[in-house]
Amino acid sequence: MLAIETSGLTRLFDRKPAVDGLDLRVPTGAFYGFLGPNGAGKSTTIKMLTGLLRPSLGTARVLGLDLSRDGLAVKARIGVVPDGLALFERLSGLEMLRIHGQLYGLDRPTAARRAGELLEALELTGDGGKLIQDYSHGMKKKLALGCALIHGPELLFLDEPFEGIDAVAVAGIRQMLQGLVTRGTLTVFLTSHVLEVVERLVTHVGIIHRGQLVAQGTLDEVRATGTLEETFIRMVGEARSGPQALSWLAAKGASSPPPVAPVVAPDATGDGG
Amino acid sequence: MRTTLRPVAEIRARLLWRRLTTRGGVAEGVARVALLVLALPLGVAFAVALGAGTYQAVRSGRGLQVDVASAAVFFGLWQTWTAVSLTLNDREGLDLRRFLVYPTPPGRIYAMGLATGIAGDPIAVFWGVLLGGVFAGAALARPGAWLLMLALTLFLFAVATVIYVSLLQEILSLALASRRFREWAMVLSVLLSVGILTLVATGAPRTWSEARGLLPALAVAQWLAWPAAFTVGAVRRLYSADGALALPWILGQALVSAAAGRMAFAVALFQARNGGEAGPGIGAAGGKGWPLPFAGPLGPLLEKEGKYLLRHPLARISAFLVPALAAVVAWKVEPALPADAGEVVRALPLFGLAAYTHLVLQSLWLNALGWERGGARLLFLAPVDGGDVLVAKNVVLYAYSLLVFALAAVPLLLAGEPPPAWALAAALALHAGMAPWLYAAGNLVSILNPKAASFAVQRHASLPALSGLAGLAILSATSALFALPVLLALRNESPWMLPGGWTVLGLAGLWVYRRALPPEARLLAEQRDALLPVVCGDDA
Repeated sequence: MLAIETSGLTRLFDRKPAVDGLDLRVPTGAFYGFLGPNGAGKSTTIKMLTGLLRPSLGTARVLGLDLSRDGLAVKARIGVVPDGLALFERLSGLEMLRIHGQLYGLDRPTAARRAGELLEALELTGDGGKLIQDYSHGMKKKLALGCALIHGPELLFLDEPFEGIDAVAVAGIRQMLQGLVTRGTLTVFLTSHVLEVVERLVTHVGIIHRGQLVAQGTLDEVRATGTLEETFIRMVGEARSGPQALSWLAAKGASSPPPVAPVVAPDATGDGG
Repeated sequence: MRTTLRPVAEIRARLLWRRLTTRGGVAEGVARVALLVLALPLGVAFAVALGAGTYQAVRSGRGLQVDVASAAVFFGLWQTWTAVSLTLNDREGLDLRRFLVYPTPPGRIYAMGLATGIAGDPIAVFWGVLLGGVFAGAALARPGAWLLMLALTLFLFAVATVIYVSLLQEILSLALASRRFREWAMVLSVLLSVGILTLVATGAPRTWSEARGLLPALAVAQWLAWPAAFTVGAVRRLYSADGALALPWILGQALVSAAAGRMAFAVALFQARNGGEAGPGIGAAGGKGWPLPFAGPLGPLLEKEGKYLLRHPLARISAFLVPALAAVVAWKVEPALPADAGEVVRALPLFGLAAYTHLVLQSLWLNALGWERGGARLLFLAPVDGGDVLVAKNVVLYAYSLLVFALAAVPLLLAGEPPPAWALAAALALHAGMAPWLYAAGNLVSILNPKAASFAVQRHASLPALSGLAGLAILSATSALFALPVLLALRNESPWMLPGGWTVLGLAGLWVYRRALPPEARLLAEQRDALLPVVCGDDA
């Protein structure tokens, strides 16, 4: 059973293909990492699969339904954290979660209860009453994830969920996602630039380059004997020369920085206490 | 510093050029020219009228004619200038946040922004033409050296009004960002209005006259409109050939304007250094929010729209500004209506206010999706019908518009005799009847020509010029349609034809609205590819 199945999915912008004849196969229950360099077509693909963008050509079936015909039914069963997020910045975090849940068909008490639970799980309880405009980027990402989960989706689309957030937040989100997939009821389709994190998370990988799928399969099939990063660079890397030396940057007062004594917190040395 | 200002000016010029040459740019450019072409003849027509009035006033020298003409001209100009500037002016020059990073004194940047508000703003041309009419009328009536002082007075009026608008926007933006202030002010306004409306409804003559007795005490409120008040003080003396007596008024205008400009800059700088609309101190107290008892599939959409609208600076400002402007009209215009004017004529300011409320809120129904920014994605990601999205926006905006109209009607009702029941019914029928026509057309404009709008009301125009032009056409056509019952009522001397006629037109509008909704919802879905990048700001 496939959670996502596309055939010749294409999107043209000004007659140029951003996504070109994509044939994706995402098994149900998979944690699918969709990788590619900047401008490869990852976000365009997610936008087409979630209904934000119309395909120019091709078909897409999501959770067994034809996306073009059963758009509303598909939307009700998926959760999305789009690139750029989809948050109403003049709502508080709690309001956003609850209203989001209600828009996906939950009744008000259920949505309110789940909103509270999600805030706690995402470590945002203390900030639930603040307007979203006052959230940091990492907090917004976490809240967007909460929104995508509140109605209990069967398929989760995450577009660059780790971009611009700190290592602690990345670890928290990663743990939560791993827990969700391990339970076996959720399929995750994720794009990311952080290959190390992706490699530790995903079960399946697809690599897109210049709008075309250049590799697809289980993690082990795709990376073969090397690491995912090595495979990725081999498939999409181009001969790039390093930046030219900008001699004028060092022209004024160039000198080595003075040595600085390291500062280590007492308890970080292992014998604090 | 000159060398630093030059690239800043270049940035502005290049951004303007890009805006005109990117998608929809040509149409926007044509719309701007069309607005100007429409504004100029209109301005000339008004200028001729103002010139004629000024001519009469200067010839008479002193007395009631001077008092009424000068007050009506300058308070009227100040009022319209302020109202239009709050919704339409593109005043990017005053956005200090963008320029704090550069090694240029922010004061110079702000001064440059203010200067473009007078010299570089197409809308300012309109006011310039009107002031030219006043000057021409005075020059024809009594040529002489005193005209130099009049020119200085008029120039200072323009400068003072631009500064006034800036100060008002900065202060309102700062003050209304405080949730507590906003909600208490709102509660107070509603309580006050309900109380006064109750007095009006009971119609007890004693209570009414006591209520009206408060009006003279409110005359001190004219200083809230100091650009007009100082100018009226000066021109009265100039018209009666007392040039020396006009000097203190001119000097007062200059000093107060300078102080106000300094204050506006200080507030703008404070906000910019605190991060402006995205700053941590603004709107931080969102709380858990108050639950709204909406049920059914529209419930969450209505709740979201309601909360969004009440947190919207333009909506908040409208709730205070429209009643304040109505108070000026009530104070200056209502008493000037002839005592023997018919009931329909006496009710015209109230009817005008009903249409004016829709005009003030036009950027909310002509660019209904522009305020969503990133949130707009959710409207397409969630399993909701586009028609429900539009209905929720329209219903909530209408409810808010009705509240603003009710608040603004209070001073008008106070200023005259208690209005007859038919006039109140007609005003409500007019306000409600126009809404479906305007919103049906506004939805179409919102979908086809959206613009990412900033929540900081003092920054950027909230409407593209093309939408502004469309709004002008929509409001004019709707107003013309709703003027028909007025002609019938006057011809048949039957005021009750107004509420009746407007109710019929309103029901017809509702039918049109319902018919238009499904195709508009389909259009919304079809346009998402073009709409989302613009609204979310990815394309801005």
